[in-house]
Amino acid sequence: MTALAPSVVGAPRAMKPRAVSSTRQKAKADAVPKLRYIVVLLAGIFAILGGQLLLSIAVSGGAYEIASLKTDLRGSQQQQQIVGEEISALVAPDTLATLAGSMGMVPDNNPAYIRVSDGAVVGEAIPAEATASGQIFAVTAGTESVVAPEIVEDVFLTISTATALEADATDVLAPPTADLGTPQTAEPTASTVAVAEAPAPRFGGSIPSPVTR
Amino acid sequence: MAHQRISSRRMGIALLVVFLMAGLLVSRLVDVQVVRAAELQEQSAEIRTTSEVIWASRGSIVDSFGNDLATDVDRYDVSADPRRVGDFRRDGETVTVMAAMAEIALITGANADELLYAVNSNPEAHFTYLVKGVSPEDRQVLRELRNPWLQMDLVRERTYPFGPVTANLTGMLGRDEPLAGVERKYDPCLRAINGTATYQKGADGIRLPGTTQLVEEPIHGGDVKLTIDSDLQWYVLQTLAEHGSRLGAQYGSAMVVRVDDGHVLAAADWPTFDPNDFSESPVEFMGARSFSSPYEPGSIMKSVGIAMLIDGGYTYSEDKIVAPGFYEVYPGRFIKNFLVADDRQLTTAGVLHTSSNTGISVLADRMPKAEATNYFREFGFGEVTGIDFLGESSGQVLPVDQVDVVTRYNQFFGQGISVTAAQMASSYQTLANGGVRVPLRLVDGCLTNEGEFVPEPIAEPLQVVSASAAQQTVRMMETIVSQGPLRNILEIPGYRVAAKTGTAEIATSTGYGDDRVISLAGMAPAEDPEYVVLVSFYKPQTSRVSTAAAPAFHEILSHVLKHYRVAPSSEPAILPPLTW
Repeated sequence: MTALAPSVVGAPRAMKPRAVSSTRQKAKADAVPKLRYIVVLLAGIFAILGGQLLLSIAVSGGAYEIASLKTDLRGSQQQQQIVGEEISALVAPDTLATLAGSMGMVPDNNPAYIRVSDGAVVGEAIPAEATASGQIFAVTAGTESVVAPEIVEDVFLTISTATALEADATDVLAPPTADLGTPQTAEPTASTVAVAEAPAPRFGGSIPSPVTR
Repeated sequence: MAHQRISSRRMGIALLVVFLMAGLLVSRLVDVQVVRAAELQEQSAEIRTTSEVIWASRGSIVDSFGNDLATDVDRYDVSADPRRVGDFRRDGETVTVMAAMAEIALITGANADELLYAVNSNPEAHFTYLVKGVSPEDRQVLRELRNPWLQMDLVRERTYPFGPVTANLTGMLGRDEPLAGVERKYDPCLRAINGTATYQKGADGIRLPGTTQLVEEPIHGGDVKLTIDSDLQWYVLQTLAEHGSRLGAQYGSAMVVRVDDGHVLAAADWPTFDPNDFSESPVEFMGARSFSSPYEPGSIMKSVGIAMLIDGGYTYSEDKIVAPGFYEVYPGRFIKNFLVADDRQLTTAGVLHTSSNTGISVLADRMPKAEATNYFREFGFGEVTGIDFLGESSGQVLPVDQVDVVTRYNQFFGQGISVTAAQMASSYQTLANGGVRVPLRLVDGCLTNEGEFVPEPIAEPLQVVSASAAQQTVRMMETIVSQGPLRNILEIPGYRVAAKTGTAEIATSTGYGDDRVISLAGMAPAEDPEYVVLVSFYKPQTSRVSTAAAPAFHEILSHVLKHYRVAPSSEPAILPPLTW
């Protein structure tokens, strides 16, 4: 349509031969912008198509990423679940009681407290007897044997090894004594000095506690 | 010119052919794109579309501290298609079926022979399970075997991290439905509904972007929160197991109740079962007997009876009575005491202290039986507790017109009336709480998946007896601990404890036999009770007197006081005289 317009306009001028050549020249001059339009148009179309292609590649690339992230998420969730199950197994009262027993702790059912206001011992502080060891009793009627989870076995093993090592060590080294009642020790070592500097208030609102370094 | 004509004809034919072909294509195009478009699209979508289950988690059952007592975990069911099972190559080496099964067995702890049998027994089958419920860890190792015929499908499995500790309360989940306990009763809160989604996938199995369609939203279950303290529950269960097996008892139950709000902190039944694996457990030990098994409680009912009599204005702690050796109900029918056969000058406190059957009969005679029945009902006997546990028994309080001349007295020492351990604990909560019965509570509420906490309805407390009547009764029970023969076993240094023993005969088809239920119920600190403990053993063999239940009671109560850091008693006890 645009190409036709100039020739229609130029038709009356065709009477004069001189005018013909000028029309041709004009048409030739008009052809350059026409070509430019076409080039721009085509370039535009290709740019849009190319863009669309890239976009769709990006989107499907995203789909791959989503798929892989979802797998990762699932893996992490399962990892969390695995760890959660291990924690549950470790905090189960049975496990704790057995662990405490393996470290030589015995249950003491005589509640006794130090009253902070006056330092009085309330209740009767009777030492627990080692005979009441932390034995775990079977509570089910069935014959099923409950298998301790692997993690619990591992911890038992670690603790029994550590206890054994500690027992060996205490044979060599003198056991540490926290003798807070007598800060006037003959040989003031670093630790006893620290105790002397910060004596626990006798009944001043806090329970005398060993100094930790 | 002929040449020209020919060429124009050729031209015409060529054009015709071109138009015909174009027409053909157009009609085909219209056919495919317009006429059959919908149908074809549907077919293609069907080929590309896959539907998947979106797993929803069943809610957890948690204790009062939020520890999981029952929760859902991921597990995998390992299966194979027997027709495809065969040797395969891995890293240039051939792995035989035998070797592959041995690998699977090693990882999952299954038996290799059984795995082989599963595949070989029906080689034409399309599917057989090899191992069910494999943990995600083991599944990871299994994947690394790169076994081409091994298939693993995600399933959700219920686990009970504390095993048998709260099994009686949580109940368990069967294949498809909850079977007992809270799992079953609170299923509407816990239940999850799996969702489904569809998506289209390309040839490489990757889902096409923007094609995922949620068909059904997965609905996760809510969490049920119990009032239970699972640490305490464990301790109570251990104590029951220790003493129960020592006594040769058939079973035992114990309950710890917080006085001011009626929260059940521990409700243990021994023996129990492991909800993680109950296929071999005896059915009779799979429930919560504290709620489901009524029994005639015996003398622990006397505390309740005395409180009723005081509240009714028929007696008071120092009231002087003569407890005869034998109480004649009607000519030839006597009520006897345990061991004592002569008349004794007792106060009402002394009646409870010595657990005198004849003494309480003298007192019971003063109260019309209709009034007594009414009191028993107000204490909560004859109806389920506020917990309304699944399968809970309401026990039995006879209607007034069926209370005969003997039962009228017997009820006051716990015969001719049947109660559950939960009801008994509730009645002691009433005595401990100044006569106000706060209905027991085991389930605190439901935390929905939207994060909203819906508390269980709180039942109205009921003033059953006056505060004075309740307190006088508690003082009398204190004498049992501080002055009675069980003093050495029951006393907890630093604390004032009130308790009552009971030895009840078990009714059989031929009357009362040799078997007993021994129990002890009590509270501490007596001046302002905070916790109630009830312990009972059914059919103990090595000792049939209630004293045998005392060590277990003492251990549980002192553990409770220590566990909850209860301040020791500061006021000295002023106790009523026992004789005159």
